[in-house]
Amino acid sequence: MSSNINFKDLWKQQPVIEPDMKDLVNRLHQFKQSNIRRLIMTNILLIATSLFIGFVWYYYQPKFITTKMGIVITVLAMVIYLFVYNKMAALFNKIDNTSDNTHYLQKLIIIKGKQRFLQHTMMNLYFAMLMTGICLYMYEYTSRMTMTAGIITYAVTLTWFIFNWFYIRPKTIKKQQAKLDDLISKFDGINKQILDDSHLL
Amino acid sequence: MTFDEIYKIYWQKIFRLCLGYVNDFDWAKDIAQETFIIVWQQLPKFKHESAVGTWIFRIATNNCLRQIEKDKRTPKAALPDDLKDEKQSSIEPQIRFLYQCIAELPETDRIIISLELEDVKQSEIASITGLSEANIRVKIHRIKEKLSQKFKAHAHEQ
Repeated sequence: MSSNINFKDLWKQQPVIEPDMKDLVNRLHQFKQSNIRRLIMTNILLIATSLFIGFVWYYYQPKFITTKMGIVITVLAMVIYLFVYNKMAALFNKIDNTSDNTHYLQKLIIIKGKQRFLQHTMMNLYFAMLMTGICLYMYEYTSRMTMTAGIITYAVTLTWFIFNWFYIRPKTIKKQQAKLDDLISKFDGINKQILDDSHLL
Repeated sequence: MTFDEIYKIYWQKIFRLCLGYVNDFDWAKDIAQETFIIVWQQLPKFKHESAVGTWIFRIATNNCLRQIEKDKRTPKAALPDDLKDEKQSSIEPQIRFLYQCIAELPETDRIIISLELEDVKQSEIASITGLSEANIRVKIHRIKEKLSQKFKAHAHEQ
């Protein structure tokens, strides 16, 4: 069936806004600035956490090795978390956006899968390290308390941890994963459009 | 080719491609501008292995595909207010209907038909999408058939 409608003609008659170089330069400027801002923000957070650990170490002069280990593990948890999240953002910069649509989509699906795995592993690691770190850190101070006060302190902290581990952690992971799963399935859907049609000929 | 030249030559083509993909003027402008930001970033790395047009259309179409990641935008009027005042009276409803029909197609079909209507060679469309030329030919035929049917049905309704 051939059509009498000239689609090409119609397509090109669509009024188009004029190219606006000034507007584009503005966008470029904003883009560069937001990249720099992001870099500064990440580094400020990293420097601030490092300074904080130094301050606690110096000011409170912990005597027990457990306290020092606790501080290191807690801060390490935050640093690793930040580092991996930055790495994840960098993953996307590695996709070659000048490759053809089929390859691009496949790469995108792989990367989203990697992101899914990283997020899951990272959340678990982050919570586990934070809990271990804080328990170790507390030991020096609770050991100076009476037995009952010490037990109560640990009981309250551990209850809080259990709540975190069994409620907050799965909820956070589920929320993150749901968003990613949705995206992956949409990308898969488009990819399927391509694959399904390869049997056309 | 300098960035300025590329921008002037390809802006309209890229903008129409984006408009066909989303059928939303503001959104299309955003995607088109994002595309040129990527072009600007990648231009020093461009190795002339493919035609500059193919290269730009690849960036633009990949960028369109990434739009799924953005939060769903509520479709607005197909034209911004400033453009509406001046030109709406002269716009054929048929043009609007064409863009609307294209935006309703599956994602890959939207890209293929937009490139075809933009007079991109079928071999180039194949290289942009990563499909075979024969496949593209069949697809274009089917999409055009689908569009014709929609236009006919639309004409009957009116």
